[in-house]
Amino acid sequence: MSTATAAKDVEFKQEVLRLAGPEMLTCIQCGTCSASCPTAHLMNPSIRKLVKLCLEGRKEEALHNETLWLCTSCLLCTVRCPRGIRPKAVVSALKDIAERESVRGRDASYEEFFLKQIKNYGRIAELPLTAEFLLVYPQAAVQSMQMGLELISKGKIGARVDRIEGRDEVKRIVEKLRE
Amino acid sequence: MKLAYYPGCVSLSTGKEMDVSTRAVCAALGIELEELSDWNCCGATHVSNELVATGLSARNMAQTELPIMTPCSICYSNLRSAVRRLEDGEVRERVNAVLEKKYSGAAIRHALDVILESLEKKDERIVLPLKEMKVAAYYGCLLTRPVGQYSPQFPTILEELIKRLEAEPVELRHKTSCCGGPIFMPREDAADDIAFAILAEAKEAGAEVIVTVCPLCHLMLDAKQKALEDKKGQKIGIPVLYVTQLVGIALGLSPEELGLEMNSVSPMAMVERAYERMAARS
Repeated sequence: MSTATAAKDVEFKQEVLRLAGPEMLTCIQCGTCSASCPTAHLMNPSIRKLVKLCLEGRKEEALHNETLWLCTSCLLCTVRCPRGIRPKAVVSALKDIAERESVRGRDASYEEFFLKQIKNYGRIAELPLTAEFLLVYPQAAVQSMQMGLELISKGKIGARVDRIEGRDEVKRIVEKLRE
Repeated sequence: MKLAYYPGCVSLSTGKEMDVSTRAVCAALGIELEELSDWNCCGATHVSNELVATGLSARNMAQTELPIMTPCSICYSNLRSAVRRLEDGEVRERVNAVLEKKYSGAAIRHALDVILESLEKKDERIVLPLKEMKVAAYYGCLLTRPVGQYSPQFPTILEELIKRLEAEPVELRHKTSCCGGPIFMPREDAADDIAFAILAEAKEAGAEVIVTVCPLCHLMLDAKQKALEDKKGQKIGIPVLYVTQLVGIALGLSPEELGLEMNSVSPMAMVERAYERMAARS
């Protein structure tokens, strides 16, 4: 490993610790987080290993994997961790870094569109959000169609987008607090 | 009692019946709601940066001096997490620097807790006691996590409310498991497996109805139920009600007032059964 890469990896580790909390350093790799995770069977690396990758500064492996996007944010790992670490916050930190560094993929796109809607309108409208996502990933349309039609028939999703008055303030929250 | 009401974005779309039934039940119980002015999205589970998520909730909380009630577990979890993070002076200072109205503390309550508190045992306003009705209590994740008022893994408040309506709670092993909802758009197969396991357990346990406290859980178990049945080749056919709808039924409110026609799996047969059982008892 070159010196430049090593330096960057230390920087990466520090950034994860800043975002997810220094208690990560106390991880004993017990695997309670993985054992609690509803999508653990689909993850590689496991959530336990993801924490280890961060602590070892292995940025590429930590950022480019399916694990981040399989987290359902259920927080069971977080309430169970015997060391008071918040594994879901580690996932969030990695997503935040991935988004800032423009890592692309269907899941990153969904998060990006979501945040963009909040920034522009202040609220989420499901139909435009879904439409934007399906434009990028049309293959998801086949799966979502049945439920989508069901919701439309019940009058629950429309194209209307609510725009709040405080849009500038919300935009400021999204932009300034992310720095 | 007067509370500020935070409906959340879903109230305007896929969770309309949650909003409608919350307002109707609160009105029936004499709980006055004042909608938060110009409220914004809480970020749900899709805003990864915690400071941004905290700022979004802080802006909502700064709109009122009243305690804030929401019927949505995702909003509830985000507001409560924000309150905790904002106890840190540095976080509060950074957030307040970008807010117009400044945050200075807030009390956050879920509609479930407000309603349970308002209902006496054998409350005379319960005109349709739901005796003999088997109700599966499904909490999902975020009512109790990370910092709710209840045990994060073994809560009992929903069962308490079910009993207060004189119905019979059905215990689910999956009661605080995730519904898969947050990843259902980009990761549909994974989400489907998780949601179906909950439905299959409720079916096996003999539940006549499943009660939820979160619009995403509701979406996965109700709006998606037919698609899941087709995909898995197993009939479920269990109505899924918001807790406010179940309470409203027991209070004798009409299907229209509770938005029951907006549920995908019709709860009407179950409501009729409740009336028949009451008639048979008298």
